[in-house]
Amino acid sequence: MDSKELERLLEKYWACETTLEEEQMLREYFRTTPATEATRDAAVMFAYFDMQRTRQLDDASLDERIANMAKPKVRPLIRFVHNGLRIAAGIAVLVAAVWLVHDEIRENTPQEMLDTYSDPELAFEETKRALLIISRGFGAAEEQARKLDLFNEAQQKIRNEMTNQSEEEVKREL
Amino acid sequence: MDLKAFQTTVLPLKSKLFRFALRMLGNADEAKDVVQEVFTRVWTKGRAMDEVRNWEAWCMRVVHNLSIDRIRLNNRQHSVPLSEGLNITQDIPSPHERTELVESMRQVAEIMATLPLKQQQVLHLRDVEGYSYKEICEVLELDMNQVKVYLFRARNAVREKLTRMNAYGL
Repeated sequence: MDSKELERLLEKYWACETTLEEEQMLREYFRTTPATEATRDAAVMFAYFDMQRTRQLDDASLDERIANMAKPKVRPLIRFVHNGLRIAAGIAVLVAAVWLVHDEIRENTPQEMLDTYSDPELAFEETKRALLIISRGFGAAEEQARKLDLFNEAQQKIRNEMTNQSEEEVKREL
Repeated sequence: MDLKAFQTTVLPLKSKLFRFALRMLGNADEAKDVVQEVFTRVWTKGRAMDEVRNWEAWCMRVVHNLSIDRIRLNNRQHSVPLSEGLNITQDIPSPHERTELVESMRQVAEIMATLPLKQQQVLHLRDVEGYSYKEICEVLELDMNQVKVYLFRARNAVREKLTRMNAYGL
């Protein structure tokens, strides 16, 4: 870079009209060329900026803290989904067991005991049979009740007779 | 954002974020805390970060906001200790030149520390980090004209003060 070009670029630099590329050219120039009296201020400033740019953050403990922070963690959502799946699997096993038992019972039960609703005549016969059983039950119960009544009546008669006898004996003694 | 994107895109920004926080806070430990807080925010945002167009500008803006919060919380002026960042790593041929360079750096650091915060931020983002005006607008949430005005004032203030120091020893 000749002195005219340097002068032109520096003027633009102080006026804040330089592009980033032109500023890079100035930076390179001052890195490699000793400053003159006229360019001393700019050279010192560019050297200062260069020195600032080389400053690095080297801190092992900070790096470790950042690395720990960025470690993959089990997020709450993933944990929630995981637990949900476990519960769903448990429910699925339970439903399957109930279904299998139910199926087994259906297979071992006579067809006429099940689903009589689809055949009205069979349903009517089954209902009649059931009512007959109930009616027989009522009949048997009535017979037993009659026997009990007879027993009660007999017991009452015996009590009355015994009471009469004791009353007569008392009168006699008096 | 997944772990790979975080490691390849965001983690390499740590030194830039640190330098910007240090420029504003003037304290290396506080600047590190701010950097960690930025990474935590990026990581916890997760998928929402995919909507961010420019991650670097976004991270720098968070550094800016967190640093401003700290400055306000502590009710203090931002400060840059003169010793911060004066580690000369360049190859200097002679002890005399080295001493001269250290002195010049000290002068610039001193002048930078006297600039208003906004001017320091704009000068840092442009001349240290090489950001475009558009990126600076995004980070500092300013319009283009404001950025150019701050940069113009900052560069010329440093230049004038350097000239005065060298000419009159002021």
